[in-house]
Amino acid sequence: MTNHFCDFKNADVILAIGSNNAENHPVTMAWVQEARAKGAKYIVVDPRFTRSAALADIYAPLRSGTDIAFYGGLMKYIIDNDLWQKDYVKDYTNATFLVNPAYKFDEATGLFSGWDDKENKYAVDDWKYQVAEVKPWNTGLDPKTGKPAATAYVTAAGVPKFELPAAKVAKKDPTMQDPQCVWQLMKKHYERYTPEMVSKVTGCPEEKLLEVWETFAASGAPAKSGTILYAMGQTQHTYGSQNVRAMALVQMLLGNIGVAGGGINALRGEANVQGSTDMGTLANTWPAYMNTPTAAKYPDLAAYLAGETPGAGFKTNLPKWVVSYLKEVYGPYATFGNDYAYDMLPKLNKVNHTHIGVFESVSEGIVKGMMCWGQNPAVAGPNSTFERKMMAKLDWLVAVDLWETETMQFWKAPGVDSAAIQTEVFMLPAAAHYEKQGTISNSGRWVQWRYKALDPPGEAKDDFEIMHELYKKLKELFEAEAGPNPEQLTKLYWPYETDGKSDITKVARGMNGYTVADGKLVKNFPLLKADGSTACGVWIYSGYYNNNDAPGDPTKQPTGSRLKDDPGELGLFPKWSFSWPVNRRIVYNRASADITGKPWNPARMLVEWTGTEWKNNDVPDFAFKVTDPKDAKIVLSWIPPNNTAFIMQSDGAGHLFGLNGMKDGPFPEHYEPFETPVTNLFNGRQSNPGLTFGKAASVKPGDPKKYPIVCTTYRLTEHWQTGGMTRNIPWLAEAMPKMFVEISLELAEEKGITNGDQVRVFNDRGSIEMAAMVTPRFKPFDIDGKTVHQVGMPWHWGYASGYATGAIANDLTPNVGDANSSIPEYKAYLVNVEKA
Amino acid sequence: MAENAILYDSSKCSACKGCSVQCKQWNMLPSSLVKDGYEFTGSYQSMSDLNGDTRLLIEFREEDTTSGIEWAFSRRACFHCTNAACAEACPVGAISKLDDGTVNLDRAKCVGCKYCNAACPFGVPKFRGELGVSNKCTLCNDRTARGLLPACVKTCPAHALSYGPRADMIAAGKKRVEDLQAEGFDKAELYGESEMGGMHSLFVAKFGLDAHGLVRDPKAPDSIALWHLLKPLTGLGVAAVFGGLGISFLTGIGYKRDASNVGASKSEEEGQ
Repeated sequence: MTNHFCDFKNADVILAIGSNNAENHPVTMAWVQEARAKGAKYIVVDPRFTRSAALADIYAPLRSGTDIAFYGGLMKYIIDNDLWQKDYVKDYTNATFLVNPAYKFDEATGLFSGWDDKENKYAVDDWKYQVAEVKPWNTGLDPKTGKPAATAYVTAAGVPKFELPAAKVAKKDPTMQDPQCVWQLMKKHYERYTPEMVSKVTGCPEEKLLEVWETFAASGAPAKSGTILYAMGQTQHTYGSQNVRAMALVQMLLGNIGVAGGGINALRGEANVQGSTDMGTLANTWPAYMNTPTAAKYPDLAAYLAGETPGAGFKTNLPKWVVSYLKEVYGPYATFGNDYAYDMLPKLNKVNHTHIGVFESVSEGIVKGMMCWGQNPAVAGPNSTFERKMMAKLDWLVAVDLWETETMQFWKAPGVDSAAIQTEVFMLPAAAHYEKQGTISNSGRWVQWRYKALDPPGEAKDDFEIMHELYKKLKELFEAEAGPNPEQLTKLYWPYETDGKSDITKVARGMNGYTVADGKLVKNFPLLKADGSTACGVWIYSGYYNNNDAPGDPTKQPTGSRLKDDPGELGLFPKWSFSWPVNRRIVYNRASADITGKPWNPARMLVEWTGTEWKNNDVPDFAFKVTDPKDAKIVLSWIPPNNTAFIMQSDGAGHLFGLNGMKDGPFPEHYEPFETPVTNLFNGRQSNPGLTFGKAASVKPGDPKKYPIVCTTYRLTEHWQTGGMTRNIPWLAEAMPKMFVEISLELAEEKGITNGDQVRVFNDRGSIEMAAMVTPRFKPFDIDGKTVHQVGMPWHWGYASGYATGAIANDLTPNVGDANSSIPEYKAYLVNVEKA
Repeated sequence: MAENAILYDSSKCSACKGCSVQCKQWNMLPSSLVKDGYEFTGSYQSMSDLNGDTRLLIEFREEDTTSGIEWAFSRRACFHCTNAACAEACPVGAISKLDDGTVNLDRAKCVGCKYCNAACPFGVPKFRGELGVSNKCTLCNDRTARGLLPACVKTCPAHALSYGPRADMIAAGKKRVEDLQAEGFDKAELYGESEMGGMHSLFVAKFGLDAHGLVRDPKAPDSIALWHLLKPLTGLGVAAVFGGLGISFLTGIGYKRDASNVGASKSEEEGQ
């Protein structure tokens, strides 16, 4: 989230789209109702009328997979009706910047300029600004202060040498009239997204679209805030990351980023998934979202730093975070002389190493062994039929979990011939979250230490202890028997033990960062260095565990703080846990005030320039003062307001035109889901050209003639993920005992199905049976005059449980992925339905 | 002692069932351990009705209207009536009214006659077969006696449940109905202010009583008036039976052992 949970109460309008927050994040309703009590409107957009819709002021139906059509229409509506927040857009976004004339979008082909059909990807070189001037990296003095420039740190001893990038300053047109300026390009791009077209594609009636757009766009008024709540309904598509980009564009147009009651807010799907992505467990990121290097592109540290460091902006500090990270991973072994052990870290190659890619690698015989750590792909994986088959190809499988899951039992699942399977399966019982200590990071970036209430039962161990034992044993074996690249493991810096036992507080210290010479915790990341004198595992967390008076005591660390002070009564709670980065609760908060530093809404003041100094309720997200290097409490000077509201961008502006980072286009564009019964009406390309695994044999794409019905998957309040935890607790199994598929009255009648009948839902990937729940909460969509039926099912059931078993929904979902993240398209695919 | 009440606001309820699960946990009530032995109700509702092990149930009623779906959620549990029919019907005083308005069912005193099951106009008390007793919400009086909120109220994440002095809950409920009507929910009503003499579990019905399955003008069954007669009569009758048996035993009236035919016949046979 750019904002956080408590902040929802500050909104004037709340849009839940691709999120069923009342069911899946029940506590959020308390904040939503607080906002509504003050007159806010709560809008729910969903293919199905959910328990969230039941509480909404406005409900709008939308065919699964058509969110960009919706957002495109909303953007056109905002622009045409002059509802965008003008000063905000002009001063804080790249609306005025001029784009390279070679950039094009061709409606007929549905492609942006630069598409390479052979390589199956875009060359992104055209997606750039016109350059007004090139400012080389300053290694000397800052002309304004006469002191060494902030970027001069690269000249110090110990800092790796790399080709210093220059900053390309864009040409701008402050009048926003030049046809090549971002503003005009954006207007042109979304011209096609008329209410009529959007209604045809989404199946949402025009009047309803206009009602939603009008209500939400009212938050474009400078003193108003609108917040968007989203979840997997947005992300789990072959253009999921573009869905998120689209939300960002809408919110920047309305001036809703960086303000209380605004933002784009992902309601994450697991208690600590935020922590897991922050800490870099995804294949394509290092901790703190630094990119994992690709071997071909970044063969050495110099190449990585030159390629990843921008020429301007706060991210010019990247080398400090990289070197500090390497120092934490390899400790004393990492020196200036060996590029801080950069060569030791695994690099990406041509193989896609995301979840879908891993199972493809198993099918190709590349991956022979697998650890499923708190994960149950037998039920949760896309095309789980295929994933379970692949498990049978493995030599060995280790599964770590609290209960015996379907993955642990894949070899004896119903209908499986166990005798034919040679996989050796190891089950490691794990501790539950109250049987171990450590942090959990919520969707709002709040990192909170949790404590151990009791010992885990039997032989169950906490995950870190398992990891620690594994590391020690592997180290022993590698040192005794050598093998491929043994030093990658044997040289790891692993000081995470106290009295022979694994000690997670030591990991926490490593993540916070410390000075290498004396081991003292650093206050926060501005103190990190690129010369090897500091180490830091997760730079965005730096500051969360920084109290040197009690390094072994989490209760005395910022992450352990549980005080309820709330300056400004905005729900910021700065002393309740630690919010990364540097305890900032609302990121981009410079944008909460105008160019002179006056808050758009004084009642929601986050930062304010009084004329001589800054006042603040939240930690400012910009350089606002110069303090005495010896005593941070002494302010030497205050930095007057400027227009740099997005400090991580090299141009300091919010990107309406996304010129770097997105593989499939600088503007979100509507494409149909990989499997769809509808021809794309917005452009000549059916599906996202950048999607991944579209050609994998395992996918078995559905022919809409055989499978004309759109299907989606979702979750329920009563169950948790693949159901291991909840279907094994009788109270919860009883609360929602049976797997079902929700079907409209119209489709049920067509198929001769009555409520409660056993039905079969199937496609070429799988065939499953469950009860039919016939309900008016699903209605057929009118897509350009054609009736398109949609059904949906929860994915909480499987065959492993003592109390409630049921069909596995993911046997039908497609293992195709988003162009940027390869997240599977769980939310829209094709099936057929018949009475069983 | 002031009377307290629960106020349930169906317009804030997200039907998460946290309350019903928490009720089971606090009161140590079981759920079936039979694998896949649960019923499928055809909706999000967990089971068709309260039962011997379930004191609190969230009900789901959906209606498709021209202005959209009306999905009415209802918290079904004991209403803790002032004129509690169950308390009147109970022949052994297992159901009693506490000072704060709670209608308590003391399992230890229950003899399993199920008169309360029949007497309740809402069909709330249910029989727990294996234990031979009836089961219903006790308004967590073991918690409220210690100044704690009832378990369901405490756990509700959507703040749809509140608990406090009955007068305050009624005022809050009325205000909520006013606000709902201003929002366009013209059928919104407050249930429990005067029904059954006034109930201690109040209900803001967003779509009106009928949509939420609430009984309009509930009344105890007419037979309960008879039970007023029957209870002392039963008591008298029971006493009379025991008394009569006792007298006949002591006096031997109507039972002449030496006039037993069985013994005589046998000896006659043997004597042949």
